Amino acid sequence: MGTSVQVTPLCGVYNENPLSYLVSIDDFNFLIDCGWHDHFDPTILQPLSKVASTIDAVLLSYPDTLHLGALPYAVKQLGLSAPVFTTEPTYRLGLLTMYDQYLSRKQVSDFDLFTLDDIDSAFQKVTRLTYSQNHHLSGKGEGIVIAPHVAGHLLGGTVWKITKDGEDVIYAVDLNHRKERHLNGTVLASFVRPAVLITDAYNALNNQPYRRGEKENEFGETIKKTLGAGGNVLLPVDTAGRVFELILILEQYWTDKSLNYPIFFLTYVASSTIDYVKSFLEWMSDSIAKSFEQNRENPFLLKNVTFLINKSELDNAPDGPKVVIASMASLEVGFSHDIFVEWASDAKNLVLFTERGQFATLARILQADPPPKAVKVAMSKRVPLVGEELIAYEEEQNRIKKEETLKATLIKEETKASHGADIDASDPMVVDVSNTHALPDVAGPHGGGYRDILIDGFVPSSTSVAPMFPFYENTFEWDDFGEVINPDDYVIKDEDMDQTGMHVGGYLDAKFDEGSTSMMLDTKPSKVVSNELTVQVKCLLIYMDFEGRSDGRSIKSILSHVAPLKLVLVHGSAEATEHLKQHCLKHVCPHVYAPHIEETIDVTSDLCAYKVQLSEKLMSNVLFKKLGDYEIAWVDAEVAKTDGGTLSLNPCSTTAPPHKSVLVGDLKMADFKQFLASKGIQVEFAGGALRCGEYVTIRKVGDASQKGGASGPQQILIEGPLCEDYYKIRDYLYSQFFLL
Amino acid sequence: MAALPYFDEIDPSMIDVLLITHFHLDHAASLPYFLEKTTFKGRVFMTYPTKAIYKLLLTDYVKVSKVSVEDMLFNEQDINRSMDKIEVIDFHQTVEVNGIRFWCYTAGHVLGAAMFMVDIAGVRVLYTGDYSREEDRHLRAAETPLFSPDVCIIESTYGVRQHQPQHVREKRFTDVIHTTISEGGRVLIPVFALGRAQELLLILDEYWSTHPELQNIPIYYASPLAKRCLSVYETYLHSMNDRIRSKHAAKSNPFVFKYISPIKSIENFKDVGPSVVMASPGGLQSGLSRQLFDMWCSDRKNACVLPGYLVEGTLAKTIINEPKEVTLMNGLTAPLNMQVHNISFSAHADSAQTSAFLEELLPNNIILVHGEAKEMGRLKQKLIGQFADRNVKIFNPKNCQSVEMYFNSQKMAKTIGRLGERTPEVGETVSGLLVKKGFTYQIMAPDDLHIFSQLSTANITQRITIPYAGAFSVLNHRLKQIFESVESSTDEESGIPMLRVHERVTVKQDSEKLISLHWSSDPVSDMVSDSIVALVVNINREIPKVVVEAEAIKTEEENGKKVEKVIYALLVSLFGDVKAGENGKLVITVDGNVAELDKQSGDVVSENEGLKERIRTAFQRIQSAVKPIPLSAS
Repeated sequence: MGTSVQVTPLCGVYNENPLSYLVSIDDFNFLIDCGWHDHFDPTILQPLSKVASTIDAVLLSYPDTLHLGALPYAVKQLGLSAPVFTTEPTYRLGLLTMYDQYLSRKQVSDFDLFTLDDIDSAFQKVTRLTYSQNHHLSGKGEGIVIAPHVAGHLLGGTVWKITKDGEDVIYAVDLNHRKERHLNGTVLASFVRPAVLITDAYNALNNQPYRRGEKENEFGETIKKTLGAGGNVLLPVDTAGRVFELILILEQYWTDKSLNYPIFFLTYVASSTIDYVKSFLEWMSDSIAKSFEQNRENPFLLKNVTFLINKSELDNAPDGPKVVIASMASLEVGFSHDIFVEWASDAKNLVLFTERGQFATLARILQADPPPKAVKVAMSKRVPLVGEELIAYEEEQNRIKKEETLKATLIKEETKASHGADIDASDPMVVDVSNTHALPDVAGPHGGGYRDILIDGFVPSSTSVAPMFPFYENTFEWDDFGEVINPDDYVIKDEDMDQTGMHVGGYLDAKFDEGSTSMMLDTKPSKVVSNELTVQVKCLLIYMDFEGRSDGRSIKSILSHVAPLKLVLVHGSAEATEHLKQHCLKHVCPHVYAPHIEETIDVTSDLCAYKVQLSEKLMSNVLFKKLGDYEIAWVDAEVAKTDGGTLSLNPCSTTAPPHKSVLVGDLKMADFKQFLASKGIQVEFAGGALRCGEYVTIRKVGDASQKGGASGPQQILIEGPLCEDYYKIRDYLYSQFFLL
Repeated sequence: MAALPYFDEIDPSMIDVLLITHFHLDHAASLPYFLEKTTFKGRVFMTYPTKAIYKLLLTDYVKVSKVSVEDMLFNEQDINRSMDKIEVIDFHQTVEVNGIRFWCYTAGHVLGAAMFMVDIAGVRVLYTGDYSREEDRHLRAAETPLFSPDVCIIESTYGVRQHQPQHVREKRFTDVIHTTISEGGRVLIPVFALGRAQELLLILDEYWSTHPELQNIPIYYASPLAKRCLSVYETYLHSMNDRIRSKHAAKSNPFVFKYISPIKSIENFKDVGPSVVMASPGGLQSGLSRQLFDMWCSDRKNACVLPGYLVEGTLAKTIINEPKEVTLMNGLTAPLNMQVHNISFSAHADSAQTSAFLEELLPNNIILVHGEAKEMGRLKQKLIGQFADRNVKIFNPKNCQSVEMYFNSQKMAKTIGRLGERTPEVGETVSGLLVKKGFTYQIMAPDDLHIFSQLSTANITQRITIPYAGAFSVLNHRLKQIFESVESSTDEESGIPMLRVHERVTVKQDSEKLISLHWSSDPVSDMVSDSIVALVVNINREIPKVVVEAEAIKTEEENGKKVEKVIYALLVSLFGDVKAGENGKLVITVDGNVAELDKQSGDVVSENEGLKERIRTAFQRIQSAVKPIPLSAS
């Protein structure tokens, strides 16, 4: 039997919710993508929470919230402990996206689903791979090979290929087959006949024709017009994804038209983002790689775009028309939200959406047709506590501190013994990690209190009655990274040793923009003040598709080219999913599934197979014929067993019965017509048949449009009277095939 | 021209893939020539940083080379054209070309240096190029591949020599410099412009920043080329180690040096008091490093630190033996008084690293390359000792000497689809299509071909109409005379009579004057139909001919002879030397192996199994070709 494959959607089927799917291959559980939406509603992670602890490996495909947003929460709260695999850019940009999400959220609410530490510790689990790297899993997953391949859409975007025993399971969502400014198109079309293909129906109904040059020009014109009329332009974008393409388009347009309106790129992590992107040229399009090789031109050395990491810098910028590229794309939180509220009431301004907003977000509401005249938005702000509130807070903190003192003492008593045993396990390598990560922790209101206690040291136990010498046991404080230590103890004086002390963790968040760091480390007690207000939407709202996804028609043609044996559809509105399902049933393959949430479907290939060894004797007698990438031959062989117990094929001892001859090849009528014409035969199509010469006709019988798995061999009929032409044409026809 | 590799000894058009490990001239410099001036048609791969620096380096090389235009092997245009042909490969990325799969690992040594693992039909070959197992200030150490290769082609530059530990070398290096300049001397460091120089600059810059007393002493680095390559170093940070990446993360550019200033040429250099100058070339052949050497070599306060591998025949190699006098560029001799130190930072593996690396890899075959013959021989002896108890072969071929190794790779095939529904018992026969793609084999039923591959099968149905005015029954009669199996029936729809010959070809009487032939194409049916057509044409042309029985018998005898003749002729065409032996047997001799073939039974007697098998199959094939057509189409 083939490899057993089950697919269970955990989120994101029959709607546009975040993506998260469980794929089990011979009982090895892959979680593919671990997305969340901008509302961060834990209820949609319910199905994930049930299976999180059984996951053996996590594969991430894109660095945006919809594909990896739930990772920190799942690791922290749901017991997800598996290793994570993704590409270097997805790792890095995903991390920045999550920082930005957290910082945006924290600014306007008491966000407590995860902390910056949780983000870091979740991303510590990541193993980074390069495109086309065959990574062999070990242990439980022995025999499984995973490989990321170029997907387009976002930098570092991945099509996952999971191979076991020669059978491929491919996960490919949000593809873009077109080459863009900064990205290459997907390589999905180079895979043929995988056992299972999991893809999305998100864009199945979107058949917008795509003309890049025209579209980019229109984009530039629209912005220029608003700026020219004295208005401001807001581009709500994701933190580190499509924004790169937009920045490059604007950069180019500004250069071409010599515009000098300022462009600001405003996220909490803007300058880090650009810094990283500059060093990801290996992952970008061929044209970018080429221009760097030839002229060492890095397109992300931007001339017209300024990066900002807090809004006050924007407020300090000189007045006058400007373009602001700000996160989040959903307008729910982040700088884009604040700026929208400020600018919406001015009819001169323009809010230009470049992607469809997530369901039920402000962006989506504004993209409705016709757009709403007014929207209610929550305006929240973090303000420092003053006066009575501050006093009350301090009292509360003291109380909590005391309680924790008590609790910690008790806990310590209990855990002392068990800690002792594990101490040896912590090696100095973990050390740096923990000390860098300890920094942001201070922000947590409870962190400070807990820490005090342990540093204060030994509290005499109330239970000890008899007098005794004080015994100072070495106790260790632990956090997610191991023992918490004083970094100075580990500073190595010896010059030569600092070579070895380097490792990955050290720089993880060293790169925080100073502004956000100061905000994070701001331990001043503060609270969130929010009020709801109604914003009159007078500004211009425009939606232009710069999502960088293949349109419906292209997706269909890619699917029929790839022609998987089984196809699983996920992610997309109910109509889109149903539409694509019907289309694929007709044109791609007979096995199309669109499972519902938590519905497990079995896509084990009904392919039967066994392995045999080809003996030297047999192979020396096989005559291969070369056909494109393939070499093909007919074999008659006798089964035998080798010493190792595997089956082997030897030449037949008796003459094999003659077999029906097989014609191999794919006849394209149009190509054949040209071929005949080149041989000096008059050919024309007439009534679905090819008329050759005066009398002979050739036709293909059966449904020619049916491609892939459903159809059988081609049926070709040649007829004509007895004449010389007949035999000549028949010879030409034969020449198109290989006879075996 | 004389310095080119021995390209004459190979046929460039036969090479499928060309892999470049790193940008150093001894590894990449003849590439433009090879791509543009030979018959090479394959594909070229190198890593991203290598490609970027390759261009800069070679362009510079062409510009400074003093060879006359006619003697130049390639010019700048050739380099630019070669850039279009070079494809890039990222570390660990697997690329497949004509079924050959390969990927690369970090090799240390210089930025972008790679070790290539090539997998051909399951046989893995690792080529290390220049590699170093030591992490330094900016590069990672060479990785250990996950899989043990069958063949490891490994550099042996340092032979059995051992490096001093890294920190000792660094300390010697900085101490020499420190002492020299504190005594008022000048330090000359001849280096190759790219690669190790960056590491030395990092060391110097770091040392200066921790020693404030030195900070008024200038360090000069004379290489405009290195300056141009800086952006490459800044961009491909992911090929470097975590130390550099964390510095980058901390927003300081590690390659912007605080205490090091660039100079263009000797004219821009003011020789006033102590200084440290790094200049190329590393071998002191000519150029700035030589000019400075000539200026400084007579003063015993000065020092020359040679940080690289010293190539035979260069001045650098000569002065390491501390001769009393040296010849200057202007031909005069001068006393050599300056101190000469050789502190190697060349990032090649030393003997200990090589041993440890091979110990982890455990290849079955080791091929030593890139090293001086004597040193290589010593390394070979050492390795033979190391792997004495294991079955490891060690080779150190000379140039153009090929190493032949034989691998008995077991070819495994997967039987899939309809054929694979049931695992057969021993002794059963399996018949189907053997499909080979790259180096994987699959066996499948013809009907499954389109499911498991992009190939498809076709059935061609033929229908040919022939004018025939005679009675259908005559045709029936005549067909029965020739063919053993002729069934007559009537077509169910139209009620017209039809004949089925050998269950292959259907003959129908379409109208009074026309008959039609129907069959599905394959060689046998085509033949049957041809003979029917001939028969019909004959009937049309003449009145029925009486067939003489005697003739038929004679024909049979003749046929027997004919068959033998044909068999003989075909065997000769296949095997060459075929003679008639005793008892009607045929004696076939191929490459000194003799086989006897019994024409009646098809038995073959030979001592050589392979030959026996080949003759047997050939004979079976010939027999099936000359034998009468079987009755049924199955």
